[in-house]
Amino acid sequence: MGSGKTGEGASQYRARSRRIIGGAPEVREAVTDATLSFERKRKRAYAEVDFDAWSDWARDVKNHVLARLDHYLTEAESRLAENGAHVHWAADAREAQRIVTRLAEKASAKTVVKGKSMLSEEIGLNDALERAGIAVFETDLGEYVLQLLGESPSHIVGPAIHKNLEQVQRLFAERLGTSLSGQPDDLARAARQTLRDAFAGADIGITGANFVVAETGTVALIENEGNIRLATSLPKIHVALAGVEKLLPRMSDLAGFLQLTARAATGQPLGSFVTLVQGPAAHPGDDGPEEVHVVFLDNGRTSVLEHEHAWEALRCVRCGACLNACPVYRQTGGHAYGSVYSGPVGAVLNPALLGLRQAMPLPFASSLCGACGDACPVRIPIPDLLVRWREEAQAAGLAPKTEQAALSAFAGAAARPAVFRLAGKAGTRLGATQAARALPMTGAWSRERALPRPSGRTFRELWREGIE
Amino acid sequence: MRDGGSDSTATDRARILARIVQANARRDAPPHPGRLETPTPSDAAEVFAARFAASGGEVVVLDAGTRDSAGVARSPGERLGEFVAGLGLERPGVAIGACVPEELRPPGPYAPPETAGVGVCLAWAAVAETGSLLLESTGGRATQLLPPVLVAWVPRGRVFGRLGDALGELAPRLPAAVGLHSGPSKSADIGGTVVVGVHGPGRCIAVLEETASR
Ligand code: SF4
Repeated sequence: MGSGKTGEGASQYRARSRRIIGGAPEVREAVTDATLSFERKRKRAYAEVDFDAWSDWARDVKNHVLARLDHYLTEAESRLAENGAHVHWAADAREAQRIVTRLAEKASAKTVVKGKSMLSEEIGLNDALERAGIAVFETDLGEYVLQLLGESPSHIVGPAIHKNLEQVQRLFAERLGTSLSGQPDDLARAARQTLRDAFAGADIGITGANFVVAETGTVALIENEGNIRLATSLPKIHVALAGVEKLLPRMSDLAGFLQLTARAATGQPLGSFVTLVQGPAAHPGDDGPEEVHVVFLDNGRTSVLEHEHAWEALRCVRCGACLNACPVYRQTGGHAYGSVYSGPVGAVLNPALLGLRQAMPLPFASSLCGACGDACPVRIPIPDLLVRWREEAQAAGLAPKTEQAALSAFAGAAARPAVFRLAGKAGTRLGATQAARALPMTGAWSRERALPRPSGRTFRELWREGIE
Repeated sequence: MRDGGSDSTATDRARILARIVQANARRDAPPHPGRLETPTPSDAAEVFAARFAASGGEVVVLDAGTRDSAGVARSPGERLGEFVAGLGLERPGVAIGACVPEELRPPGPYAPPETAGVGVCLAWAAVAETGSLLLESTGGRATQLLPPVLVAWVPRGRVFGRLGDALGELAPRLPAAVGLHSGPSKSADIGGTVVVGVHGPGRCIAVLEETASR
């Protein structure tokens, strides 16, 4: 695997979790609110259809595709070429960076607008483009907030769910000149204005790809804001980054997967916008890009495919449902995991993508409560895979017993709200440092540094009283 | 076109495909399970209207045969013009998509998509099960995306029950790009509060002629 951001610091998971839980309680509040809201919508959306049958079907389609991936990749390549698109192949992050920066340099590009793409995070594309002197604008509203802050996304679907309104108000007041009391509508309007200018001047639009349909050479993208539609429409060049596992055989499969993914991710029948790109504009009435490039990226995915058990994680459609369902993720948000793919899916994918040693101790950051597996729309057996990774880690001597015990205890407490509430209460009554000793995971570490003093009442108490 | 003539991407292609073949060597390929059968809505136009509205879209039904006070029949475009005039646009000017036929065009004043208050386009179809408009890129993407309000004609008889049926019919003749619009542009990225019109149109209006059901 080449350079990139995935797994830069999985080993620091416990230290980061401790810092977030002890020093940034607003993260837990914001993440808990957002994930519980996603969860409610997902459950409602699953109940409206025969989601069990949908999930069985989706699992079977993906298993079929993965077993014939070479066939479907080459079929997609041929169709895309017939449609006038250029197809590139990158074995690792470095090659993908090189392909995109060379395209940009060839086009003398000065400005790039990007749609949300986990894959571009994975390969560290923004840094590579900026090193080449190209200005990069993240155009998804959440990603734009994070770019201004110099942070990375903490959730696959809601990249900035760890930020609350006040933090964005302060940021936009400083950077965009909006009022400190600006409401979300005002703040979004200010961002829209800046980003509209970026779209108007951009030379290249870069996106990910939710799916690639082999039969028609179609790159499919789901979103709610419309920034991806703009990024694939206004600049002269569109570059789509697609993991090699993103293939679907036929258009009829796409119809099912678009709906399945939207229901799992945001509880909608479909995202507000879906873009299906076949190739460059070729019709007099079409004002779209003159060049379309699709980059098929491996970057560890064929290693996952090779793995006896972990290959099942390649069915992942990046819906984020397992993150939303996970009581452990909810306590810290995604940054604690130190990898682009956080939460349960990251814990099963990273050991195969990066190597088990680099991904430690993520497979232990779970109570094995099973909520992730139940939420997953493509039936990835996440708890089973976590157990398998734990067994492999133990066999390889990668998991010191004390750390395993501390993490398991933390995860167990996180999965039982009453226990966690009690530990949270202890924090307000005893002071954070003593409370950290009461929380199983932080106990050993709290001796090293003092934690800030918390408010006299718990968030839940404040919430119930409807104040602050 | 394959890989833009670069040697390293050709090498990477061979490497990736070989690794896939090797990884799958010991596994049987399970068959494709066939199509996901979702229920077909009984009244597609009605279900489309309900789902589109539930996602924040607006649906207008223009009845056929409207006449002015002198008894002269007005074209659908003229009727749409009256409707657009009543929208209270934040700025004047109508941008017209390339494939909107003359009789469906509201009278001006016209403006380019960048400055228009409303974009008018002709959908290829609508889809009931997802509450979506299906827009072809050949109609002009800027018109579909840049004005704060989008008005899309849905041709008579072009409301499909299921997304798979619509995409299946479109598959053999796909344009360079297709946009499915299921309501206005939305984001909850700032403090979890939903705001509309972040990037794309903040109002999305589907105009059905009477008996548009398929
Ligand atoms: S593992 Fe399943 S639930 Fe988690 S992001 Fe992937 S598809 Fe969604």
